[in-house]
Amino acid sequence: MYKLIEFLRRIYVVLLFIAIEAIALNYYAHSSYYTQAKILSRAHSIAGGLQSSIFGVKHYFTLRGENEILSQRVAELESALAYYREKEIDAQTDSLTMNGIDPLMLESLSQYRYTTARIISNSISRSRNFITLNRGLMHGVMEDMAVISPSGMMIGYVVGCSERYSVVLPLLNVDFRTSGKIAGDEHFGSIYWSGNSPYKVEMSDLSKHADIEVGDEVVATGLSHFFPEGIKIGYVESYAINDTQTSYHVTVRLAADMTKLNNVILIENVDYGEINELENNPQHEN
Amino acid sequence: MQKNILYAGAFLTLVLLQIFLIDNISLSVYFHPLIYVAFIILLPLDTKPIWMVLLSALLGLTIDVMTGMGGLNIIATTATGFLRPFVLKMVTGHAMGTDASDTSLHRLPEKNFQWYIIAMVVLHSGIYFMMESLSLMHILHTLLRLIVSDIATVMFIYYFVKLFIEKILNR
Repeated sequence: MYKLIEFLRRIYVVLLFIAIEAIALNYYAHSSYYTQAKILSRAHSIAGGLQSSIFGVKHYFTLRGENEILSQRVAELESALAYYREKEIDAQTDSLTMNGIDPLMLESLSQYRYTTARIISNSISRSRNFITLNRGLMHGVMEDMAVISPSGMMIGYVVGCSERYSVVLPLLNVDFRTSGKIAGDEHFGSIYWSGNSPYKVEMSDLSKHADIEVGDEVVATGLSHFFPEGIKIGYVESYAINDTQTSYHVTVRLAADMTKLNNVILIENVDYGEINELENNPQHEN
Repeated sequence: MQKNILYAGAFLTLVLLQIFLIDNISLSVYFHPLIYVAFIILLPLDTKPIWMVLLSALLGLTIDVMTGMGGLNIIATTATGFLRPFVLKMVTGHAMGTDASDTSLHRLPEKNFQWYIIAMVVLHSGIYFMMESLSLMHILHTLLRLIVSDIATVMFIYYFVKLFIEKILNR
């Protein structure tokens, strides 16, 4: 008995070490981007204030470049607006057909709703990176909202929200998956990050019948419920057919510079809940 | 007692620097210094093994919670803290910490001190980056990350530990 206690006294540090490592390994093995985002959004409720003030200082130095992008975007939208105004006038003159359509109803017909947020922390140096935004549940941000850059490039989607902050799973996370296609072509492939370069993602399983050339634009498909169809992902940098000669593997140069992000636009798919409910409806399985 | 407060201050400083400064430097995927391991490095040489393990685990837990990493930092820091006596034995050639007159880190000869920091940093980031990538497929990529990040980490920690021991602890 005495010898046993003596023995335990000698090795209890080793036992403690093994116990801690076992718990941590077990937790790490079972953690997904979802649990990580949950912890992160909790932590930001505490440390978010400090984090956002530090990012605020950084933000100040990039204002000039950002202003240029924004004014370009304003110009683009202005011209689009002018186009629609013209259409409206046309429609009004042709009022017999448009008669009776309530503008409020038109708004509710639109599938996507937009809001903006500022990035308060962003990493690119891990294999599982996350972006934190200064908007949360109380600002109407919800999980599964799409996140794009002010110039309309894909960034990621929201995976966790606290009251005032939300966490985004960006393209630069090895757990990120979405579908993409070559603009103007209907074949789609799956987009993921291999963890190597913050400027490139991969697209695999693109049908060999797809019409592809270096420099082609890669955009989101309407198949993902997060991203509106046509959101720009990047450009084809190189492509090769796979060993079994069935599909292309494409390297895509990202359109958004993930290392220099400040403001983002959040897109809510108003119909997402409805589609999701329909897809998960148990009646399907019968 | 007063020394404990100084060590707690070092702990806090390193954690805050890591989370709010280093993690916000987005230079490249290869540049990811893990400076908080300096805390394990600067603990007194006569720290009891049980405290080495507990304090290292606490350090890893703090970073994990603040950055949303699922247990990765605890795995790396606890192993580093547990293995520190062996690293010390390796760089000095004999067991440290048994002799009461020999417990302060700055008694280590300069050359041993440098090797000690390099060995600890490589040990810690080696575990960290291997656990993060969890595959040998990107081994070259992981090695490059290790080298680039560790050069920066070792330089930072060398000056941080010097400053802490010579200017703050032995004031």
